[in-house]
Amino acid sequence: MKHLYRFLLRIYPAGFREEYASEMERQFSDEYREAAGRRERIRLGLRTLADLAVTAPGEIARELRQDLRYAARIYRRRSVATALALVALALAIGATTGIFSVLNALLIRSLPFREPERLVELSVAPVGLGSIPGGGRYEVSAWRNGSQYVEDAAFYFQHPMNLTFGRESLRVTVCETTANFLRLLGTDPELGRDFSGDEDIHGRNRVAMIGYDLWRQAFGGDPGAIGSTIRLNDEPLTVIGVAPRSFDFPEKTAVWAPTAYGPWLPGTFWGFDLVGRLKPGISLDQASTMYQAEIKRLYGEKPSFQSIKNGAHLVRLQDRLAGPVRPASLVLMGMMVFVLLVACANLAHLLLSRATERRHELAIRAALGASRARITRQLITEATVLTAAAAIAGLMVAQWTARLAAIVQPSQLASQQYSVLDWRVVAFALGLAAVTGIVFGVLPASLIGRMQPARVLMRARPGSRSSAARRMRGILIAVQAALTVILAAGSFSMGRSFLRLLGVDLGYRTNRVVTMRVELPRTTNRTAPLVRQALDRLRAVPGVESAGAASYLPLVAFHALEGTYFKLDPGDPMRSARLMLVSPDYFRTMGTPLLDGRDFVDGDRQGAEPVVVVTAEFARSYSNQRLVGRRIDLNPQGRSRYATIVGVVRSQRHWGPESDPWEVIYRPMDQWEQWTATFVARVRGNPERYLSVCREAVQGTDRGVPVFDVKTLDQRLADTLAKPRFYTIAITFLAGFALLVAAIGAYGAASHSISQRRHEIGIRIAVGGPPGRVRGMIFCQSVAPVCIGVIVGLFGAAGLGRFLKHLFASAEPAGLWMCGSAAISIGIATACAIWTATSQVVRADPTAALRVE
Amino acid sequence: MKTIDDEVQSQLPLPPPIFHMLLTLCHGERHGYALKREILRRTDGKLNLGAGALYGSIARMVERGLIEESETRPDLHLDDERRRYYRITPLGRRVAQAEAVRMRDLVQLAEDCLGLPETL
Repeated sequence: MKHLYRFLLRIYPAGFREEYASEMERQFSDEYREAAGRRERIRLGLRTLADLAVTAPGEIARELRQDLRYAARIYRRRSVATALALVALALAIGATTGIFSVLNALLIRSLPFREPERLVELSVAPVGLGSIPGGGRYEVSAWRNGSQYVEDAAFYFQHPMNLTFGRESLRVTVCETTANFLRLLGTDPELGRDFSGDEDIHGRNRVAMIGYDLWRQAFGGDPGAIGSTIRLNDEPLTVIGVAPRSFDFPEKTAVWAPTAYGPWLPGTFWGFDLVGRLKPGISLDQASTMYQAEIKRLYGEKPSFQSIKNGAHLVRLQDRLAGPVRPASLVLMGMMVFVLLVACANLAHLLLSRATERRHELAIRAALGASRARITRQLITEATVLTAAAAIAGLMVAQWTARLAAIVQPSQLASQQYSVLDWRVVAFALGLAAVTGIVFGVLPASLIGRMQPARVLMRARPGSRSSAARRMRGILIAVQAALTVILAAGSFSMGRSFLRLLGVDLGYRTNRVVTMRVELPRTTNRTAPLVRQALDRLRAVPGVESAGAASYLPLVAFHALEGTYFKLDPGDPMRSARLMLVSPDYFRTMGTPLLDGRDFVDGDRQGAEPVVVVTAEFARSYSNQRLVGRRIDLNPQGRSRYATIVGVVRSQRHWGPESDPWEVIYRPMDQWEQWTATFVARVRGNPERYLSVCREAVQGTDRGVPVFDVKTLDQRLADTLAKPRFYTIAITFLAGFALLVAAIGAYGAASHSISQRRHEIGIRIAVGGPPGRVRGMIFCQSVAPVCIGVIVGLFGAAGLGRFLKHLFASAEPAGLWMCGSAAISIGIATACAIWTATSQVVRADPTAALRVE
Repeated sequence: MKTIDDEVQSQLPLPPPIFHMLLTLCHGERHGYALKREILRRTDGKLNLGAGALYGSIARMVERGLIEESETRPDLHLDDERRRYYRITPLGRRVAQAEAVRMRDLVQLAEDCLGLPETL
């Protein structure tokens, strides 16, 4: 019983325990002895427990308050150093937490699907769909039912459409799916019903499920929306359900509509995606093997499907959704940990130098009977106060970081929102603060633990040096320098990659160009006249120099591309190239130079001789022979359809500077029918001012057709470069920040060591040592750990540099040259900080230094 | 500048256990357990301080300067020398007095308002 009580007494804080534990124990054993009988003893036990429960928290709080008051007093005394450490730590904890919130959303929090680990994406349909006429619904359902590895699978295809409800119209992302889509994912509608099994049969598929946000926006959240009619690209559909709030898979879908993926659909159509649910008990690896075997069996004998066969793979849906963001976030997280460590090293400097300054005081406390535990707790409390404050400030920084991350690399699903106020994220921040506080509070305390109070007091000099502390400080400086070199090397090489991106020749000029998109309902055949009319109106706008139209414009974020097979000479093997439709004047408007031949003219219309223009990249694949005047077969698979090459233009980098130039065949818009068009106009002066006039001009052609995505081409380029720009700026900022923190750390350490050695320095100068030499000596001693750190960092940077390419495609790994220059600049910057700190030596008055004694 | 009176007033009102302990210590030095037993006796078993409450109060009183640890020990044969004895300080005495006065005034006020019977 007594032992149990002694054990329970540990709940009380150390200070109280030291003072009163033995008395309390004795009192308890007296009472226990006096208690007669079992009942009395049980009553005593209960009373004691109640007493403990009531008084222990009070004592803990009291002691904590004491420590906190003491800590606050001490930090006030060194306010500048404290503030710096605090800011550094807050930024580091905040940014790390912000990036953690991204990883949390992508990797940790589960998807809004039932058993998401069993959902996979199949890169190719293991049925003849898309290649064999007649392959379709029956084949698909036969495969779905008979597959050894998937329980069920759903096709889906996502594209923007014009949604009309009542009098309003909107541009929304529509997902056309098989009817089992939601059932497969395991998502129940918020309202209404799911698609029934036969609603993806032609004729019965006039139904739609709408997203939660759209429901709120279009119907004001009215349950009466179920049963009402909406029109998608003019086709009426009945709303049968509303999807749950955070469900917008795939990627920001607002309307789901069942589509008859039947024989009529494929042919040239490859744009669908396929998601499947693995059979229970089948691992991803097993399923992958079976899937690839099946694909090989299906496509094996056809050589033209080589690329399909090679590209066949299964990916966990979760990995696919996190795919684009994950590696970049992990790399950033790694860098943030470096910055955090640099900031922590600074905190450790602060605590360490305070601990050494206070050795005398702590020794006195120890000599007076304060236990090591008590002193350690005091130091840990001091450190934790600082880190807790930093964590709270850090949560605000995290909020910004997460918001920035959402702009630069938005998540694929609404349910993946990067939210900082998720319990895991908050726990992460607080945990980070607690660990930092404990680790860097224990560090100085471990020095105190080893100290022998008697010896410290006997020397009686508050400033006497401790070699353990000095060694530790040296290690901290070296670590800081090494980490900073790694970060700086990363930022140098990112900066260089980014500058290189800006210098890339795109094949078009982005300045002074206004662009806008129009999507026509697929039910009309009036596209060519409409485009012509719109162009005429656009050209008539005062200030517009030239205008053109194209089926697909470079830098426009979302659209499918078309391709075509062709043969240049009848004996050649069949090849493929991208196909784009452009109007006369398009190249001039885009600033794409004509290298040979002529541009399209108004006469290149339906009925006239078919003509094409090709890119320089195309010509290059024919070893730059002169192609103008040659005839090209655009339908080599069937009845030949010839066209004459009339011009060669410079290749455009379609997806911006990071993409490769393509082989493209351009055809005149008038000789082809299409439903989507992008208009471009080159204007005089600031293009921002022309956005609304140009929109009006095109809109005026047909009020019923929405004109959307009106932007300058410069803006589109900036959007394309947003990611590399963000990462470059982020890493440069991190590196600069780390450098600042490391330099402050080195400065602080040097000046601390000088203040600790004032006595010694005083003697050296008093016995005739030239101050310059003394300064040089101290400088060399302080710089030594920096040099070691820089060398370690050099190797670290060379090793870790290759991870940079995860941030954006054209980021180059940090080469030796970059690492070297980073190492040199960090070395110089830190040395400067230390040299500045040593200036005290020259100013030191030896007599004053000695008189302190 | 705080005067002694301010110091005394700032400590009022005293929690009952502390007031009882101060009163008990007026009769001489006691160790913790003796204090507890004395208070138990005086209050007819109504105020039974657990070890935590007892030593928590002692810690508070030492902190506020109401009592102090005594160096002298009674006869070694009578008691265990390892026990810690406490005695009341002059400040403690004044605070206890002030508390008593405060209570007397309170009782006076109650009597004026209600009229107090001899017994209930």
